[in-house]
Amino acid sequence: MIIEAAQFLTILATGLFFLCFTFSIFFDVNDINIIKLISRIYSHSFFLFLSSFLIYVWLAINDNFSVLYIAQHSNTNLPVFYKISSIWSAHEGSMFLWIIFLSLWGAIYNFSANNNEPLKARTIGVISITTVGFLLFLLLTSNPFETILPLPPENGADINPVLQDPLLAIHPPTLYLGYVGFVIAFGQAIAFLIEGNSSINWEKQVRFWSIIAWSFLTLGITLGSWWAYYELGWGGYWFWDPVENVALMPWLAATAFIHSLSASSKSSILRIWTILLSILVFSLSLFGAFIVRSGIIDSVHSFANDPERGLYLLAFIGILVMTSLILFSYRFKILFSNKRIVSLSKESFISINNIFFGALIFSTMLGVMYPLIYEFIYDQKISVGAPFYNAIFAPITLLACLFLLFSIESKWQSKLKITFLNNPLIISFIFSLFITFIAFKFYAVSRAWTLVSLFLGLLIISRYILVIYAYLFHSKFVNIYSVLAHIGLGLLIISIALNNDFSSERALNIKINETETYKNHEITFNNLQLIEGPNYESVKADFIIENKKGNKFSLNPEKRKYFVRGQITTETAIHTSVLKDIYLTIGDQLDDGSWIVNVQFNYFIRWIWFSATLMIISGLFLARSLNRVHS
Amino acid sequence: MTVFFRVFILSTSLMFFYFFYLYIEEDKYYPGASFQTSNMPLFELEDLYSDKVIANSDIEGAHLINVWASWCITCRIEHGFLVKLSSQGIPIIGLNYKDERIDAINWITKFGDPYELIVHDLKGELALDMGVTGAPETFLINNGKIIAHYRGEVNEMIWSDVFSPIIEKENLFNVN
Repeated sequence: MIIEAAQFLTILATGLFFLCFTFSIFFDVNDINIIKLISRIYSHSFFLFLSSFLIYVWLAINDNFSVLYIAQHSNTNLPVFYKISSIWSAHEGSMFLWIIFLSLWGAIYNFSANNNEPLKARTIGVISITTVGFLLFLLLTSNPFETILPLPPENGADINPVLQDPLLAIHPPTLYLGYVGFVIAFGQAIAFLIEGNSSINWEKQVRFWSIIAWSFLTLGITLGSWWAYYELGWGGYWFWDPVENVALMPWLAATAFIHSLSASSKSSILRIWTILLSILVFSLSLFGAFIVRSGIIDSVHSFANDPERGLYLLAFIGILVMTSLILFSYRFKILFSNKRIVSLSKESFISINNIFFGALIFSTMLGVMYPLIYEFIYDQKISVGAPFYNAIFAPITLLACLFLLFSIESKWQSKLKITFLNNPLIISFIFSLFITFIAFKFYAVSRAWTLVSLFLGLLIISRYILVIYAYLFHSKFVNIYSVLAHIGLGLLIISIALNNDFSSERALNIKINETETYKNHEITFNNLQLIEGPNYESVKADFIIENKKGNKFSLNPEKRKYFVRGQITTETAIHTSVLKDIYLTIGDQLDDGSWIVNVQFNYFIRWIWFSATLMIISGLFLARSLNRVHS
Repeated sequence: MTVFFRVFILSTSLMFFYFFYLYIEEDKYYPGASFQTSNMPLFELEDLYSDKVIANSDIEGAHLINVWASWCITCRIEHGFLVKLSSQGIPIIGLNYKDERIDAINWITKFGDPYELIVHDLKGELALDMGVTGAPETFLINNGKIIAHYRGEVNEMIWSDVFSPIIEKENLFNVN
């Protein structure tokens, strides 16, 4: 009964969201009473939908296995935390969560935006119709409320063991918050296009929401990268897995978008970029949902699939994107600004970098699409791997860094004047060159790409540190959070380059009580234990590692076999120090009794996540500072 | 210039969506399905209900082999469809996978028996040889050869898209 009630609440909410949309289209949205009405209906339908979700969470906590989805993905033995996170461990429930977040962003916008804001009603209308599209998808093709009656099972199947990890319980929600967070920017852009009044400055309000969504997206991607590192035993931070790529594309577009926004919120210059990018960011987020949920691509992320779902999503996303683009091309004229971009101004450098971002998105899309097109035509499976992406990303990113440096020097709407003496760029140039030379001479950094990346990364960091210096001692106005985020970028480039250059791995065949030497480290296989866990049995190895200074520590990689699903997982053992991680995984036992053990030395890998964290934190603080200016 | 830009953006995105439409529609894509032909592995295992040993020679001609277990929730969902198939005259052999005898028999008593014969594979030996990764999975075998393998729940749609074409091609079961 309670299950049907929850389902009914969702259906009711769908109807009310649709009502919001129709009102925003057919009524006069400049009438304050209509705006109030739309805003109120939206809040009500959000609360109906939210209560439906909360009932569902309650059902999951209480092991109500008459709900098919809960029976398939939860288990009475799980702790409450995982009972809740089991909701988003598969397709139906995670779609449910996705839509909750979508409407939540709408609700927060609805709550915080003033009723006399010119675009409010239309924005809510756009958010509503997007929500309705996904709600119909949920109810018609992937209903989480489906029941097994009259005889519910006594216990459920288990949650996938690799998902029984606190980080993984958080990774999907943060990523979803980032993906759907751009619905506000999208809604406002579409509302702006429908309204067709070029004097409205929609960019200013959108900036705050977009930077928060960007921070969540970055956080979600970072958490996923970290999880793959220590839980999946992949031993790296990025794998160009198709699903990583479909998360990277909206991130790239979003990064370009928030930069263009900072230009066009000051003057209406770059408006074509901002509108097009806001449509692109959201479309790419939806494309990600389509790829993951239609089962087109095999990946660790793909869900059990059904072509009908793919078809529905394709049709829905197609209609949404095509309508937006038609609207965009129809309103193309009003987007032109009378002001021309001054050459060598900050705007000009931002638009050059937009082109670079566009090239990166296009190449990633090509990498994702090419195997599909190839398979479609030749009926053969091929895969596009890391070499393709590295070859494209390295030069373009480094070029973009160069233009970033120019844009630090330049000013809004005025030409960059290059003075050679007494320029802070010269100081950081000499400093970076010096450090790069030391790295080359004394630390065996020899590959050209690494040296260039190191140099440019140092240049960015040192140049921005001089900016901070000017901010602190000459009280020059600087957006300090943006500075910190870019220092994060510099650090990220350096760590990726050094990680790529220094890291190494080797597979050892080793028996118990044997010692092998790898890169000045003595690795001794001490012991092997069989362990019975609560829902798995495992082999746990004990290794003693001694480095050349004579420091000893033990590492215990594990291999688990879960009873219910029969799945085998590897539990990695990692020893972290400032510069490197020593990373051990055990593989199979060979016939002669020796074990295959994979040893990796991952340099600077923590620095990569640290840089990403720096960007995320700066993003959140930047949004906070924008909000303060607002109110 | 504007017209060119407009047409370019609209037509590229239209082509993009049209490609995916073709991809989904034409090439019905089931990652769980595989059509590699291989020999049915040799086995000697007990019948679920008795100590009688079942071996390769007990399976002649074309059969479906369905891997199931009482702990498997998806098997329960699939079960209704298997009962329907068996009532249409499709011979199905059950491979009870890593399951206690008593649980399996209770389960069958509760939900009905679509199987001609149930092999009790307590340790998953035969399943391992056949390349089973979990339950449910379904194999189509003909004269000692595996000709189709599906990982996951078989339902009306999977049956008509994955199994029916090969059954018609090989002219099995004398259906239709």
